[in-house]
Amino acid sequence: MTRTPWWQRLAPLLGLFLLCLVLSLASPHFLTVDNLLNVLRQSAINAILALGQLLVIITAGIDLSIGSVVGLTIVILTLLMRHGVSALLAAAITLGVGTLIGLGNGLLLTRLRLPHPFISTLGTLNVARGAALLLAGGVPISGLPPGFRGVVAGSLLRVPMPVVIAAVAYLITHVFLSRTVYGRDLYAIGGNREAARLCGIPVDRRLNLAYALSGAAAALAAVVLAARMNSGFPLAGTGAELDAIAAVIIGGASFFGGVGTVGGTLIGALIIGFLRNGLNLLDVSAFWQMIVIGVVIVVAVWIDVLRQRVGRAA
Amino acid sequence: MTPAPTPLLEMRGLAKRFGAQVALQDCSLAIAAGEVHALAGENGAGKSTLMAILSGALAPDEGEILWEGRPVGLPDVRSAQGLGISIVHQEPQLVASLSVAENIGLGRLPHRAGPVRLVDTGAMRAAARAALDLLGVSVPVEAAVGAIGVAQRQLVAIARALHFGARLIMLDEPTSSLSLGEIEALLTSLRALRARGTTLVYISHRLEELRAIADRVTVLRDGRVVTTAPMDAMDNDALITAMSGRELAADLQAGPPPPGAEPRLRVRDLAQGGRLHAFTLDVREGEVVGLAGLMGAGRSRALRTIFGADRRTAGTVEVRAADGWRGVHDVASAIAAGVGLVPEDRRALGLVFTATVCDNVGLRTPPEARRWGLLLSRVLRPLAEAAVETLRIKARGIDDPVRTLSGGNQQKVVLGRWLRDTRVLLLDEPTRGVDVSAKAEIHRHLRALAASGVALLVASSEIPELLALCDRILVMRQGRVVGEVPRDRATPAEILSLATGATERRAS
Repeated sequence: MTRTPWWQRLAPLLGLFLLCLVLSLASPHFLTVDNLLNVLRQSAINAILALGQLLVIITAGIDLSIGSVVGLTIVILTLLMRHGVSALLAAAITLGVGTLIGLGNGLLLTRLRLPHPFISTLGTLNVARGAALLLAGGVPISGLPPGFRGVVAGSLLRVPMPVVIAAVAYLITHVFLSRTVYGRDLYAIGGNREAARLCGIPVDRRLNLAYALSGAAAALAAVVLAARMNSGFPLAGTGAELDAIAAVIIGGASFFGGVGTVGGTLIGALIIGFLRNGLNLLDVSAFWQMIVIGVVIVVAVWIDVLRQRVGRAA
Repeated sequence: MTPAPTPLLEMRGLAKRFGAQVALQDCSLAIAAGEVHALAGENGAGKSTLMAILSGALAPDEGEILWEGRPVGLPDVRSAQGLGISIVHQEPQLVASLSVAENIGLGRLPHRAGPVRLVDTGAMRAAARAALDLLGVSVPVEAAVGAIGVAQRQLVAIARALHFGARLIMLDEPTSSLSLGEIEALLTSLRALRARGTTLVYISHRLEELRAIADRVTVLRDGRVVTTAPMDAMDNDALITAMSGRELAADLQAGPPPPGAEPRLRVRDLAQGGRLHAFTLDVREGEVVGLAGLMGAGRSRALRTIFGADRRTAGTVEVRAADGWRGVHDVASAIAAGVGLVPEDRRALGLVFTATVCDNVGLRTPPEARRWGLLLSRVLRPLAEAAVETLRIKARGIDDPVRTLSGGNQQKVVLGRWLRDTRVLLLDEPTRGVDVSAKAEIHRHLRALAASGVALLVASSEIPELLALCDRILVMRQGRVVGEVPRDRATPAEILSLATGATERRAS
């Protein structure tokens, strides 16, 4: 939908490239196949969460609840499996639950007419986390069928399975956003909600869809995370929404809505992943890592502001 | 009026470039003390750039500015204000949550002595009243600016300039969102200001307004001064020719629809809350019907309710399609029945500014452009290309971001959505903020649509526009149709007297 100048679109990619260049010069362990696959595996969950967040941010919204939704759905998934439900069915139910919670976020916005999704999803953030802790009794749920971990946390032709899952999700979402009526409508709603409505776009239904898909993405992330951790920790995903938002924004989406791409979001998630990995390799303490990530987020949003300014002057 | 020997403000050879684009070039112009000087020109002619330079918001690349004969620099807005130059923008920049008095005094509120600097509310209100008195108007100074009307906000902004000691006030399209009565009132206030010696620079697209207030007029085109002349020395044709640089085609005057034409749109007893009452109307195939009325008379409300954008509380809307009459209940059924709406404010309601021309035209997606949820660009792109070609939209291509287009071309993009499969087109202020030649073009396209059989309903606050465009005009007041005048008998005076309630005639 949006055709920004090439230098603007390439800015995040250039950032990623520079980052990799610096890291490969700084550490001999960085540029190895194993390490790169490792980064991809570690980035997969944030990348999946960011995908849902992207859909919502394109509509000029935000979904703060996804971290908690990961916590709640991971508990549901692991409880189901521990009670003998097959892994496939349990995963399907989990995705359904995530979708429903997301739909709930959408309905709070479109039915109750809450003033901003910040509020509705902040509510859901607390409700979902509380529900996760209640269901799990406050402790991690373990004892999953071995096959589940073997498949979902395994690899396919050397590529880690989480990466394969994320890649498929990215491909589908890319087609969804760039080729379908629904995707185009999300951009239009974020760009100008009233104009979209007056062109006959069912705004409320599309918003419900965006939040539902964000919830589904959170549930998918929970499935991947459960396999990696081989358990269901009710506090899983705490704060994950912030990394997802950071990835989307670093990837060039605009908080003002109407702008953002799947490719940019992927790059945003990878920048965060590579940054963490590189700082680890360089023995930078976790405390300093937080500071660096924080600075990167602020700089990225600042670039977003500059972009808007350039866009308006044009 | 004898011009003062030394102009109050003089510009010599001003130039301003934005990148490769030349906004102003060798621009020289003198404003005499005490005159009302009109600036005319199409959008993009350089009026706004000139105003921005004079108000200190923008620095010129070349040229000098003389205030009472002395060269001055205007590095920022404060220094311009210090000299006595103020600007009042199209949308007055006021704080909605603060009172009228606070807005007028903001930045230099009177305060009591002492370390706490408590605002002296009494003095503040007195100063605000004094400034408003100069305009000969009474606006409640304690009211929040958000609670008063657009016209009053305009006055508050002017009063604010006066409070800051302005001797030269620049008004950038002050009437673009005012109704006829409000415009008249504003012009009266401005005449009162001129009488006490305040100099005014006045920008407007409405020629009759310039004629009513201005002593002299300067026409800008492509960043250059084309001419400066006494207002009386230029008739409208001369002005339009100077602005556009070419002769305009003669008046449209397309004939009314054939007498046998069948109704396309049938509205019966439509009501919307307390804002629209018993709105009944037929528009025939090929007919152009105008909706006149003062601000708040219910023109926009009527269009939006017909379209289903505002929920009706009573009444029916039907459109005659190939297979008979179809009911309209909401936006989706309106569009499905072939009704289109070109809304009032293209920025807020019409366009997705982050998107391209193609996406904006395709935003109303015809059913054949979607299959299994996929958008078919092989259908959508030719659609946008056809709109660009038919309406002669000036863009490098359909992939241009719509925000890079001029106002007139943006308006054409909104219109471009409804070129195909439209039976009834509702237009709300179709040429607001659009320059003279784009306006004439849009009018021509609307007549062409009518000639092809589309039924048009046009709401406008510009009576000349309705007179030029419509076969008959309905006049609204307080949410009701209070009269109907056919074009051959319509005069601005008659429409105005119906709109203000001076006379009343039943709609036929």
